Amino acid sequence: MRHILALIAALQSDSTPVPVPSIPRRPLMAVTQSVILNVTVNRLDAWAFSQGWANSGTRTWGRNLRVGWEWDEDQFGTNLLMHPYHGGLYFNAARANGLSFWEAVPVAFLGSWTWEYFGETDRPSLNDFFMTSFGGIALGEVFHRLGATIRDNGSRHRVLREIAAFPLDPMGWLNRRLRHERTSEVPNAPEHAPGALSLRLHAGARFVVNSHLRKSNGTPTVIVDFGYGDPFLQPYRAPFDAFRLRAILGDRGLNALRATGRLYGPRTHHDHLFLVNQRFDYINNSAYRLGGQSIEVGLESHWRLPTEWQIRTEAYLDAILLGGIDAPTAGFGKRNYDFGPGGGVRFRLAFGRHGRSYFAFAAQSEYIHAVSGASADHFLGFGAFEITLPLGPSVGLGVHHTTFLRRTVNSDRPDDIRRFPELRILLTWTDVTWPASGVPQPTTRAP
Amino acid sequence: MRAGLVLTLLVGVLATSAEAQRPHRAGLWIETGGGFGYVRIASSGSTTLTSAPGSTSYLTVGVLLSDKVLLGIENAGFVDEMLGFFRGDTSSVAQTWNLSVVVLWYPWRSGFFAKGGVGVAQGTFTVSPTGGGAPIIARGTGVGLNFGAGYDLKISRKIALTACVCADVAGIGDVVLPSTRVDDMIASIYHITIGITIR
Repeated sequence: MRHILALIAALQSDSTPVPVPSIPRRPLMAVTQSVILNVTVNRLDAWAFSQGWANSGTRTWGRNLRVGWEWDEDQFGTNLLMHPYHGGLYFNAARANGLSFWEAVPVAFLGSWTWEYFGETDRPSLNDFFMTSFGGIALGEVFHRLGATIRDNGSRHRVLREIAAFPLDPMGWLNRRLRHERTSEVPNAPEHAPGALSLRLHAGARFVVNSHLRKSNGTPTVIVDFGYGDPFLQPYRAPFDAFRLRAILGDRGLNALRATGRLYGPRTHHDHLFLVNQRFDYINNSAYRLGGQSIEVGLESHWRLPTEWQIRTEAYLDAILLGGIDAPTAGFGKRNYDFGPGGGVRFRLAFGRHGRSYFAFAAQSEYIHAVSGASADHFLGFGAFEITLPLGPSVGLGVHHTTFLRRTVNSDRPDDIRRFPELRILLTWTDVTWPASGVPQPTTRAP
Repeated sequence: MRAGLVLTLLVGVLATSAEAQRPHRAGLWIETGGGFGYVRIASSGSTTLTSAPGSTSYLTVGVLLSDKVLLGIENAGFVDEMLGFFRGDTSSVAQTWNLSVVVLWYPWRSGFFAKGGVGVAQGTFTVSPTGGGAPIIARGTGVGLNFGAGYDLKISRKIALTACVCADVAGIGDVVLPSTRVDDMIASIYHITIGITIR
């Protein structure tokens, strides 16, 4: 069991044998691969799956260029999760060809734009362009680094690690294969060992109440919290050199995927850090659906206490570039959720020791103004606390309580107010890889 | 000896010339200008388009992130005083503006740049009733994107003329006018502008 967990988490000691040479920059190859990717996906959908929307041609290209953008009616999971994953493939085609984070950004936009105009018979969708581009950047960089962490050319489980990393970063796999880098003679990528890594796995039961439907249910759930790098330990060097990821598996398969990565921060050590983050949110459970692409600006602090305990706080303002939220009584066409920009604030406090969080409190308030769907304004509130009672060095009992409140102010119908309290009781396993002492301890992050 | 001197002079002249062509980029920067615009208004579920020419203007202030990348905040506006949503209709005054965070990327040493940004957008449509009376104003606010490409032509060490071919996209939601209702409106504004840049 421990080997499997170690494999998934890649919490290995750094096996990089020599300094890592950088990959040659090949922007033309990156663009070519993103075009080939679009053609391949389009032809697969047209020939193998007989999807009518994939039969695009000069006539639809001309129509799309003439008429331009619209909002589409695809399902929530397609728009808020699958499109960002697709965008991550463009982005990682660039990252795997030696381009930096910022150099890979235009490739994600280019891949998304060409797909929207030329890859489908439908008109180009503005929400797809947002989700594929911005979501692709966030998920792409997270998966690029996660894939590099899992892969280890020096490991005797090298093949298993390649297989585990493939779904996250197939473009990385393809380019490693083209360059014959999947061998122990080639050093690992620089992203392989960020210094600080943390993994917390939770498994147990989840109980949620829908105040509107007056019903509750209990389902099994698994939560994965992954921390890559640490902003207090490592001064800023590159975007997403420190990020946190939470995935929740439950009654709908992937119930949630949330990632927050540092886009910019100070290049020196401080106890109080001004940070700019990019955030990816996808929540799709039986009670509510919410997702979007955000940029947040704020302050993270760590407060040293006597002995080895410490408190960390985070306070952020955020701008939701484009969010999606379910609109059960409204929506647009076949789509029963709204799109819109917005903004909000969030705060978090965590109390921990030796790299492990024992108590965390989080609060968040967001506003989304619908520009597609209902004529509505959505006001959202989250409150959560998470307690972990240690049962052993790595094992604990977790109790999480979350309340999600939403108020929708409609211009043409009564307001809709709903409340979703949620309780999770979990068995928790934590592992932390942390460099030499004398630096702040990490805490595993709550929602 | 003479050939060496000529070569040195030639290299010096070419180097000076190349330096002169390269616009100065440092610290803060401000850019303003205007030009010709063309708006195309579409809605979801319909291929009917409303389009019209108009005038456009913008103001951008920003900072230098690196030798090749500038970050700024841009306010761009478009106005057309004779917009109509059906044939023969010229009763509406259409105004849009975008407030965006923009990134300008200079891939080479020349003045060529590519530009992209995201922010908020607003569209305002003012209709004056034919029988007189107070004008009716319909407004939508939402998400804005912009992108394009341009060229800085240096005219002094800190000043450049900037030409840009750009597009703003404004997704502003439902707009209800006396004559029509446009659901989930998306206005695309294409503009060709000339501006002055001070760095």
